[in-house]
Amino acid sequence: MRLLALLAISFFSGLSFTASEYKCGSIECYEFRADIRDKESLQRGLAAYMNYCYGCHSLKYSRYKRVAEDLAIPLDIYEQNLIFDDSKIGDLMHISLKESKAIELLGAKPPDLTLEARLRSPEWIYTYLDTFYEDSSRPYGVNNKVYVNVSMPHVLEDIQSELTEEEYDRYIADITNFLTYVSDPSAETRKQLGIYVILFLLIFTAFAYLVYREFKKDLK
Amino acid sequence: MQPNSPPNPIRRQLLTSVTSLLGFVGVIFAAIPFLSAFKPSARAEAAGAPIKVNIGKLSQGELMTVEWRGMPVFVYKVSNEAQNVLSLDKTKLADPNSAQEQQPQYAKNDTRSRKEGIAVLKGVCTHLGCAPKFYPEATSQDFDPNWQGGFFCPCHGSKFDLAGRVYANVPAPTNLEVPPHYFESDSMLVIGSDGAS
Amino acid sequence: MATDTRTKRLLNWVDFRFPLTEVFERHLSKYPAPTNLNIWYLFGFLLIVVLAMQIVTGLWLMMNYTNSAEEAFSSVEYIMRDVEYGWLIRYMHAAGASAFFALIYLHMFRGMMYGSYQKPRELIWLGGWFTYLILMAEGFTGYVLPWGQMSFWAAQVIISLFSSIPVVGEDLATWIRGDYLVSGITLSRLFAFHVVLLPILLIAIVFFHILALHEIGSNNPDGIDVKKHLDEDGVPLDTKPFFPYDISHDIFALGVFLIIFCSVVFFFPTGGGYIIEYVNYEPANPLSTPAHIVPSWYYTPFYAMLRAVDFPLFGLTAKFLGFATMMAAVAIFAVLPWLDRSPVKSIKYKGILSKTFLGIFVVSFFALCYLGMVPPTETKALLSKIFTIGYFSYFLLMPIYTRIEKCKPVPERVAQV
Repeated sequence: MRLLALLAISFFSGLSFTASEYKCGSIECYEFRADIRDKESLQRGLAAYMNYCYGCHSLKYSRYKRVAEDLAIPLDIYEQNLIFDDSKIGDLMHISLKESKAIELLGAKPPDLTLEARLRSPEWIYTYLDTFYEDSSRPYGVNNKVYVNVSMPHVLEDIQSELTEEEYDRYIADITNFLTYVSDPSAETRKQLGIYVILFLLIFTAFAYLVYREFKKDLK
Repeated sequence: MQPNSPPNPIRRQLLTSVTSLLGFVGVIFAAIPFLSAFKPSARAEAAGAPIKVNIGKLSQGELMTVEWRGMPVFVYKVSNEAQNVLSLDKTKLADPNSAQEQQPQYAKNDTRSRKEGIAVLKGVCTHLGCAPKFYPEATSQDFDPNWQGGFFCPCHGSKFDLAGRVYANVPAPTNLEVPPHYFESDSMLVIGSDGAS
Repeated sequence: MATDTRTKRLLNWVDFRFPLTEVFERHLSKYPAPTNLNIWYLFGFLLIVVLAMQIVTGLWLMMNYTNSAEEAFSSVEYIMRDVEYGWLIRYMHAAGASAFFALIYLHMFRGMMYGSYQKPRELIWLGGWFTYLILMAEGFTGYVLPWGQMSFWAAQVIISLFSSIPVVGEDLATWIRGDYLVSGITLSRLFAFHVVLLPILLIAIVFFHILALHEIGSNNPDGIDVKKHLDEDGVPLDTKPFFPYDISHDIFALGVFLIIFCSVVFFFPTGGGYIIEYVNYEPANPLSTPAHIVPSWYYTPFYAMLRAVDFPLFGLTAKFLGFATMMAAVAIFAVLPWLDRSPVKSIKYKGILSKTFLGIFVVSFFALCYLGMVPPTETKALLSKIFTIGYFSYFLLMPIYTRIEKCKPVPERVAQV
């Protein structure tokens, strides 16, 4: 299947060379493979995101309800614990911070992160969250190796100091997994459905081939 | 050229039949996503979520119109006089006892309401979907000299009483629909859900 | 038996008023296709299937898409997330665009290889060429609709190309945009073109293309005129009826195509950034250009040519010359039937020069395709120039090399398999 799909890619692109490379700002990306099947990791990632990121970064193309359902969180539990304003469960995940207020407070509008994992890649997000360092020349006293001179403070600083390095890596892996899921929520359904579709097509094509050969006999 | 005749006609027949059948099944499967895409989207579903209505300030005989799932819903606080009319004159009604499933079980009573005195009705005429007008007074009207108060649909002249029951011999076939609703408290009405019970 | 005659009577009733049976037999069931057609003759059928698919998926997308600068981007995400199976329909449409181009390039190459453009098939070729032009416009206008960063800047760059035309250029570009910079106004008109004007033209021209083909008959890999030898019914001897002999072949090919296509749609819907660019996951921002913008892979050969011309000549600016070169590269296909002076059609019987130049063309096309995708460097700019010359030499030198080379004799009849 993989080989076939790879062939398909090269067929479609007309050329088979590697896709546009991801560079993580000033460094190479750390190795990271997002796992969107790990529901527990996604749930932890969601909780972390809602607590540390959602204050500024909306997920405005996604709905609470969809996230709750996909991550197997009961709706009432989700409503009680993970919706902070008067939004309903079916609403889009807008933040309450207004754009003008954000610019006044932070100097820039924090981007929406629904599609961040598709725009920049999961590796990028993971590496970004792992490469904050102290830099007294910056307004918040921190800088980042991936997003050089980023105007965002290191919001996970406390977490990072409390956790061991391994625990912190898992923590940001959870967030990255969650963002990868939310950037393409249909990915799992798509792949599962795809297997059935390809299997069906293989059977159909096998029969179509037999029919083709059958008629070809007449022409000899 | 003249094609030769098939060496094995049965095999040929079988193969073409199976392939055609598979092709047909494939087309049916391929149609599913396109038909499913016509269902209400997550956005439409979210917009159709239950709504809360504060009825604390509603006075007797007053009607308020709220929007739920894009349609008008009438919330009417029945006055005492009207209450009497409702239980009196049933002869002219087509379905006075609400036999047809136009209301949840809890509203299948004389006033077609879950809570005595509060009528909750979809403001969609059961004929062709216009929004009926509200004429609460029991006074003579152009469309009915013996009007007892109720709803009148301007599109095709259907008439309903104050509990949304349809009169006989009008275009509308059934009573106005009662949407699912429950009372969270005395003054808080929720439309769109039957409540936890 | 009774139902049989009833159907027949109904058919007779219709046939008396409309040539239903005749049209069906002429264009489908009894259409005589040469016996030596090979794998290269499958792409026309597949193109029709893809066209139908694009129309259906496009229709469904249009039901949920909003063509305003404020809402276009979020309406695409609405389709991807909130509409049931919206993601599938959108991925099909996006991958369908790439498939359309892949197939049309193969289909065109077949024509070039076997001389299908030669007399008497000039109009078929021109119809096909026009289809390709409209398809390019469809691809471009469709690309703008999601209103991501790539959409916006592609529109900005492509429309700015018109400003290179001397004297009227600037005004023309502004007129096309309907604004001083690409904006929601531009988006709306491109949307109208994409969903109404261009599809209507496309369908009309494809109709013309097929009608013209069925009038003359299909060419074949040997370039033999099969109509020279007819049987007693006037049907060419070296042909077989389309139904069931070609349709069974086409259906099998469709199966193979769908396996490849669905593998992409279900497992690699963005095609590694070639079908849906990652940059397009950021909403359009007129104030900041992405670091590296490239057109879709199917335009990159022409984009490379645009960049290859970086010198002014005869008082014309490099910008205009680049634009003109790019346009010429697409336009030159139209005159191909009149450039080829060879007495034979198929590459099989043409001389070594034709084979060499066709080879140069193919290499140049792929090389330019690659060069148009990567950031320019000095070496790559030089290579682009060389391959641009290679591309054009196939066409421009054709009247010479097809006349002086020695061809092999073409057989009278198609060899029996």
